[in-house]
Amino acid sequence: MIPRLIAMVALVLLGRTASGQSPDQLFQQGNQMYQQGRLEDARSLYESIVAMGYGSGQLFYNLGNTYYRSGEIARAILSYERALRYMPQDDDIRHNLQLANLLITDRIEPTPRLFFLEFWDDLKDALSLRSTTWLAYLAYLLLLASLTLLVLGRTYVWKKIGMISAVVSLFLFACGLILFAAKLADFTEEHEAIVMEAVVTVKNSPDAGSSDAFVLHSGVKVEIIDSVSGWIEIRLADGKVGWIELSTVERI
Amino acid sequence: MRHAFQHRRFVLGLISLLLAGAALGRAQEITFEAAVDRNPVGAGDQFTFSLVLSNAGTDGGTNLRLPDLGAFRVISGPNRSTSMQIINGRMSSSITYSYVLQPRTTGSFTVGAATIEAGGTTHATKPLTIQVVKGGVQRQEPADTVDMTSVIGDNLFLKATVDKTRVMQGEQINLTFKLYTRVSVLNYAVEKVPSMRGFWSEDVETPKNISLSTEVVNGKQYRVGVIKRLALFPTQAGTLEISPMEVQTTVQVQPKRSTDPFESFFRDPFGRNVNYMVKSAPVKISASPLPAGAPDGFKGAVGQFAMSATVDRRTTRTNEPVTLMITISGTGNIKLLESPEPEVPPDFERYSPKVTDSINRGKGKISGSKTFEHLLIPRYPGLKVIKPLTFCYYDLTRREYVTLRSPQIELNVEQGAMATPQVGGGARADVQLLTQDIRFIKISDPSLGRRDEFLHTGGLFVVLLLLPLAGFAGAFVFAKQRQAEMRDQAGYRNRRAIKVAQRGLKQAEYLLKERSGSKGEPSTLQRVRFYAEVSRALWKYLGDKLAIPQSAFSSERAAEVLKARSVDQGLIHALRVLLESCDMARFAPTGLDLAAMQKTYEEARRIIIDLEKTLKSS
Repeated sequence: MIPRLIAMVALVLLGRTASGQSPDQLFQQGNQMYQQGRLEDARSLYESIVAMGYGSGQLFYNLGNTYYRSGEIARAILSYERALRYMPQDDDIRHNLQLANLLITDRIEPTPRLFFLEFWDDLKDALSLRSTTWLAYLAYLLLLASLTLLVLGRTYVWKKIGMISAVVSLFLFACGLILFAAKLADFTEEHEAIVMEAVVTVKNSPDAGSSDAFVLHSGVKVEIIDSVSGWIEIRLADGKVGWIELSTVERI
Repeated sequence: MRHAFQHRRFVLGLISLLLAGAALGRAQEITFEAAVDRNPVGAGDQFTFSLVLSNAGTDGGTNLRLPDLGAFRVISGPNRSTSMQIINGRMSSSITYSYVLQPRTTGSFTVGAATIEAGGTTHATKPLTIQVVKGGVQRQEPADTVDMTSVIGDNLFLKATVDKTRVMQGEQINLTFKLYTRVSVLNYAVEKVPSMRGFWSEDVETPKNISLSTEVVNGKQYRVGVIKRLALFPTQAGTLEISPMEVQTTVQVQPKRSTDPFESFFRDPFGRNVNYMVKSAPVKISASPLPAGAPDGFKGAVGQFAMSATVDRRTTRTNEPVTLMITISGTGNIKLLESPEPEVPPDFERYSPKVTDSINRGKGKISGSKTFEHLLIPRYPGLKVIKPLTFCYYDLTRREYVTLRSPQIELNVEQGAMATPQVGGGARADVQLLTQDIRFIKISDPSLGRRDEFLHTGGLFVVLLLLPLAGFAGAFVFAKQRQAEMRDQAGYRNRRAIKVAQRGLKQAEYLLKERSGSKGEPSTLQRVRFYAEVSRALWKYLGDKLAIPQSAFSSERAAEVLKARSVDQGLIHALRVLLESCDMARFAPTGLDLAAMQKTYEEARRIIIDLEKTLKSS
């Protein structure tokens, strides 16, 4: 923990000395550039914050806007998707992402899914990683409080209340942990990607000589289900599956 | 009456017999056969391939499947003809599907089975072998089966002519296919269109009816008809080849004059028709590349062009589309023109242009115009400027690159109404969304955090996790201690119980002894106190020993607990009797003598000792 803290502080300090400014200042400058219509400058400022290892919903959203304005729709979509990871319920991000998705070539109709999978995804979308962390923590507190009540309770009634609430909070805690683990996996495993190349031919197997399955254009969101030496197996929202080269996509 | 009835039955029987006969007549076997009108056939000849379906009724068959006729060219067909005959009351019908075929090459070919569904079953023909021999095999004319090529020879040929063979890349070439003939050509059909690799080709209008002209080639006079006229634009530099065109002609050949009048009488006075294929020679074109030094915006336009750029309105509102029309007109490779890239302000949204072109093919030069409609949507109000558009082409007459420049276009964008909220779903929502713009950036606190740092990995979070755990651990330890303490308290009382009891009894004993010392007889007060001491000692002992709080104590309760701890019934009874006698003596102290007091004291001691023994062992 302590070496990490030191490293963090060092990084922040380095960041300061390299550009002379804190990420927050850079962000404000980027916003000013954007408002003056200097999209290129705004973008490079935002990108420098990202390069320093920082991220937030606001940052990726603004970055996405600069890409959108300069017509780089695939990059805009990538940034908006990244922003949504931080702020899954943000209306602005969703709106802009929707607009950006209208400008890409491929129209992919998602296939209907089982209701509980849908529910699970909705639940995940409704919460940020931060809020799931707090949720699981709350359940953890409740569990400990109930156990304390169970241990300290002098009479039967108190012990019974403690017991019931312990069982309930144990269940909540388990749910919270599962949700948290799933969110964390979404965040760190990067199992989704956006196609960056203008036109990509999706193959039936991870080999350039293999037969063509279908063609994708830039900006499409794909799910990565497997990977083999420079190739990834992708699945589209409509269920189509195929292999493409890893270099043609960028992970969210 | 009865007779008449029988007569009627006879008539009915006769009618049914007739009907049965008719049905029998109908029920002839269905056949399906394939035939050709002649075999062998000449390589250039056409012949008829017929499929005859007999006795399938007038409805005919369904689902006719042809065999592979790959070796033959289908000139026409299927032609369906029906015939019906009634001979001697028997009806026969046949349906013929005929095809006019022409062999592609010589050799022996087997035509597989054709199938058809009729009368509920599938019928197939027998395979047929067709011999194709060189030259024309004509009916009953074995005498002069001469080689047609030698007869027609150079009396009929097809020629491809170009107006120039050395051109610049993108320069127009006029290609004409002409048919030269000294024989009578009845009709012709283009069999193979030449491939124009390396060119953009555009058909030039040719008159519907071929007007013939005369030309003299090698001292011979020919009638010449233009079959096809094309305008070609080389799209690449180098030597390019126009491949041959093939035309199938039908030529009427005059028979040789015969000396035999009888024979000539039977001869066809109009000669006979021969199919003859003519082929043009390939043409080589050398296209030289355009000179170096092309300006930046040059995208391959060659010819002479003019450009205009207009917007459909000068004043608009935000989110309301404006159409920028760029029209390029002139002569040259119109189809290959690309739109000049309009430089629009960055807050404009631009959609890919809609392209329309109109090409004028007359007068030997390809001219026309191409229009690019760019849809622009301004997002912010203000005076916006579309920078001058440039279009660059190579001028063939001036032999240099020319750059056209449109005037600057100014647009006044007013603040329009806010985007209306979307209604409906699907495509309509998309359309509504298209008129909306992305939302503004977020300028509030960015709450930036390191991407590899999470809430749950932060030091504070670990503290937050451990703190409640520590609290719980503390509570747990406290509870354990309290429990141990409570257990200890009970044990202490247990261990002290006998001592307390003995102390109580000592007090009683003292009271008992004291009266004998001084006055001989104990006073009533002393007696009461004695019994009270004994009773108190017993109660205290039981209370401590059995860990029963004083408040919840009664002799019944004590008896219960003792019984539960398997104390002897007799002892319990003795205890209860003693307790009762003590109570009695305390409230009615008369008639108690020393002996009784002595006895009570002894009894109390005995019970306590016995209880102590039993409770300790259990």
